[in-house]
Amino acid sequence: MKKQYLLSIVPIVLGVCLLAFLPSQEALLEELPIGSQAPMTDVEVKDVSGKMLTLKDVAKENGLLVNFSCNTCPWVAAWEDRYNPIAKLAKENGIGVVALNPNAAIRDDGESLQDMKQRAEKSNYQFYYALDEGAKMAEAFGATRTPHIYLFNSDMELVYRGAIDDNAKSAKDVEQPYLKNAIKNLAAGNEIDPKTTKSLGCTIKWPS
Amino acid sequence: MVIVPIHQSYSAPTTTAEDTLLKDVTGSELQKIIDSYKGEKAVLVNIWATWCAPCVKEFPEIVKLQRNYPDDLKVIFVSADFPQQRDEALNFLKKQKVDWTTYFKTGKDQPFIESLSQEWTGALPFTKVIDMNGDLVASWEQSASYEKFEHHVKTAINP
Repeated sequence: MKKQYLLSIVPIVLGVCLLAFLPSQEALLEELPIGSQAPMTDVEVKDVSGKMLTLKDVAKENGLLVNFSCNTCPWVAAWEDRYNPIAKLAKENGIGVVALNPNAAIRDDGESLQDMKQRAEKSNYQFYYALDEGAKMAEAFGATRTPHIYLFNSDMELVYRGAIDDNAKSAKDVEQPYLKNAIKNLAAGNEIDPKTTKSLGCTIKWPS
Repeated sequence: MVIVPIHQSYSAPTTTAEDTLLKDVTGSELQKIIDSYKGEKAVLVNIWATWCAPCVKEFPEIVKLQRNYPDDLKVIFVSADFPQQRDEALNFLKKQKVDWTTYFKTGKDQPFIESLSQEWTGALPFTKVIDMNGDLVASWEQSASYEKFEHHVKTAINP
């Protein structure tokens, strides 16, 4: 009995010892994997119009585009000239669009619902812009930065994740319009390639 | 056809203190710089930007760390500011009394991010600590305290 017990705990002890020597990547969140179901689709969020929405409400016949965005990030400002054209393209292709603001730690410093309302008016947002209270949506999506894109198909499965395109600073110098291509391919039933991309962005300001 | 005398058309490149303080770097060049310290020093790479509040907050802690471990640690700062903010980045470095060469990211985001880490999603700040053997000790997004930096640096110095 004692021998059996020892045999059963040895692999556990060895595993723990091994873990101690592995590099530490403690704060790297896992982004939602491709093929995953959209999380929290029934949870209500407040849009800048005052309307309560769920992701399920926003989705259209071909899918849903979620953009984790905010008011205070220079990378959002750099890409913002592409927000409305992309929203238009998505809507033309039967895809609903919502931007979610997850910057819960700095609501009193430029990221309140009132600030969001002003930003949406100033930039004439043609899509929903809703408050991600407590950054719970961002956490469930594994979002890390703004802007951070998640595109779902009609079954609410993730088909594209990452950047808007490969040039934040200049729309006219974009070589790879990743998101536009993904939207068109999703609507046409074609393969999306690449399915994931990366770009620099402002870290999400998580609640403490 | 206008012929420009050679002494007017060419001037020898001059290196200023500002050029040395903030040099352009691509992802692959950065990797070579990191590798050059293998067997000599532990390396802490920190990607920051003047517009990034958490980066600005933790920056003095990393400067302090370099001052406290001058022989065993090499801190490599890389600014990810937009080109038009290069002067702001330089001013910030001077204000922080950084007196060693730092770098300014050039080129596309994706190859730069992937050259540093497959796990890094692109959020700033990003820090990576490498030991004297060139092996990864730790990497993380978000800002950190002096204690956290020092904890990983001590491991990197004594792998």
